[in-house]
Amino acid sequence: MTATLPAHRDALLRIAVGFTGVLLLAACASTPPAPSASMQAAQRAISHAEGAEAGRYAPTELSEARAKLASADTAAAEQKMTMAERFAEESRVEAELASAKTADVKARTMNDELMRSNGTLSDEMQRNPGDQR
Amino acid sequence: MITINRSGTMPARTLIAASVAALLLAACAGAPAKPDGAAEARYKLTQLQADPNLASRAPLAMQEADTAVRVAEQPQDDRELGAYRVYMADRKVELARAQAETSFAEDQHAALRAQRESARLNARTAEADAARDQVAMARAEQRVATNEARSEADAAQLDAASSQRETVELQRQIDALQATRTDHGLVLTLGDVLFASGRADLRVGATSNLDRLVTFLNEYPDRTAAIEGYTDSSEGYRPGLSERRAASVKSYLTGQGINALRLSASGGGASDPVASSDSAAGRQQNRRVEVIISNPSTTLR
Repeated sequence: MTATLPAHRDALLRIAVGFTGVLLLAACASTPPAPSASMQAAQRAISHAEGAEAGRYAPTELSEARAKLASADTAAAEQKMTMAERFAEESRVEAELASAKTADVKARTMNDELMRSNGTLSDEMQRNPGDQR
Repeated sequence: MITINRSGTMPARTLIAASVAALLLAACAGAPAKPDGAAEARYKLTQLQADPNLASRAPLAMQEADTAVRVAEQPQDDRELGAYRVYMADRKVELARAQAETSFAEDQHAALRAQRESARLNARTAEADAARDQVAMARAEQRVATNEARSEADAAQLDAASSQRETVELQRQIDALQATRTDHGLVLTLGDVLFASGRADLRVGATSNLDRLVTFLNEYPDRTAAIEGYTDSSEGYRPGLSERRAASVKSYLTGQGINALRLSASGGGASDPVASSDSAAGRQQNRRVEVIISNPSTTLR
C-alpha cells in the first residue's frame, strides 16, 4: 500500500485497541467467570480414575463423570456458569466414586482369590492326612 | 421492605402489612420441606452408619456424606439447586460406602493372609508329620523285615547246625561201624572172626560189630540193609553156605528187633574174595558177610 504510515492512522489504531479492551472488560463484568477450577478438578479426578482402571472396574461411574464434564463444558460455552459449576462438581464426585469403587472391587477380588486358595489349601490338608492314615 | 406511606390512613397501612405477612406465611407453608430424593440419601447414609463393619471406617468421607445429606435436606425453592444437592449427597454417601468397604476388605485381606500363613504352616507341619510317620513306618517295616530275615537266618542256621550235627553224628556212627561209603550206600564188612570154616553159625563173642549195626539201623530207621554172605575158595564146594551165612546175620538182626522187611539176605559164594586164599588168614577174611546199607532218599550220600 504505502511505505509511510500516516500519523492519523496510528492514532485510529490506538483508539480501536482501547475500545476493544473496554468491550472485553465489559463482557467479563457482565457474565460470571467460567468454573475453571472445578472443571480442572473434575478432569484430574477422571484422569486419576482412568489410571486406576476404573474403565474396567467402574465403567458406569467413569462414563457418567465424563458425561457430566462434557455437560459442564457445554454449559460454560452457553455462559450458564452456575450450571457448569454444578456439572463440574457432579463430574468430580462421580469420578472419585469411580476410583473408590475400583479400589473396592480390586480389594474384594483379591480377597476372594485368597479365600479360594485358602479353601484349597485346607481342603488339601484335610485330604492328605486321610490318604496317609 | 414495606414502605409506609406517611400520608396514608392507618387502617389501609395495617391491611397492606397484614396481607403481605399472610402472603409470606403462605409462601413458607407452601414450600416443600425437603427436595425430592433427600429422604433416600438420608436412608442410605443411615444404613451405612448402622453397618457395624463399616460405620467407623473412612471417617472423612463419612463426615462429608453426612454434611451433604444435611445440606440436601434443607428446604429449597430452587428445584435445580435442590436436585443438585441431592445428587451430591447421594454420591457422597456412595463414596463413603465404597471407601469404607475398601477399608474393610483390606482388613479382611490381612486376616486372610494370616489365615493362609497358618494354613501353610499347618500344611507343612502335617507334611512333616506325615513324612516322619512314613519314615517311622518304613523303619518299623524294616525292623520287622530284619527280624524276619534274622529269624529265618537263625532258623536256617539252626537247620544247618542240626543237619550238620546229624551229619557229624551219622559220620560218627559210620566210623563206629567201620563202614565204607560207596555209591550204593555204606558197605560194612563183617570180617574174619564171624564164621568158622565150613560153618554158617555166628561165633560166640563175635557179635560186637553186629551190635553196632543194630544201633545204627535203630538210629536210622529209614535205611534198609542188604546182607550178602561169602565163602572162601576152599569152601566153594558147599552150595548154600554163603546164603546161610547171610541168613544167620539177618536172623541175628531180626532177633535184635530190626524189622525183617528192611533186611535182605543173599549169597555170593566165593566169587568176590577180598584177600588171598593162599593163607589161612586170607581165607578167614574171605569168609565174611557184607552189609550194604542203602542211602536214604533224602539225607546223606
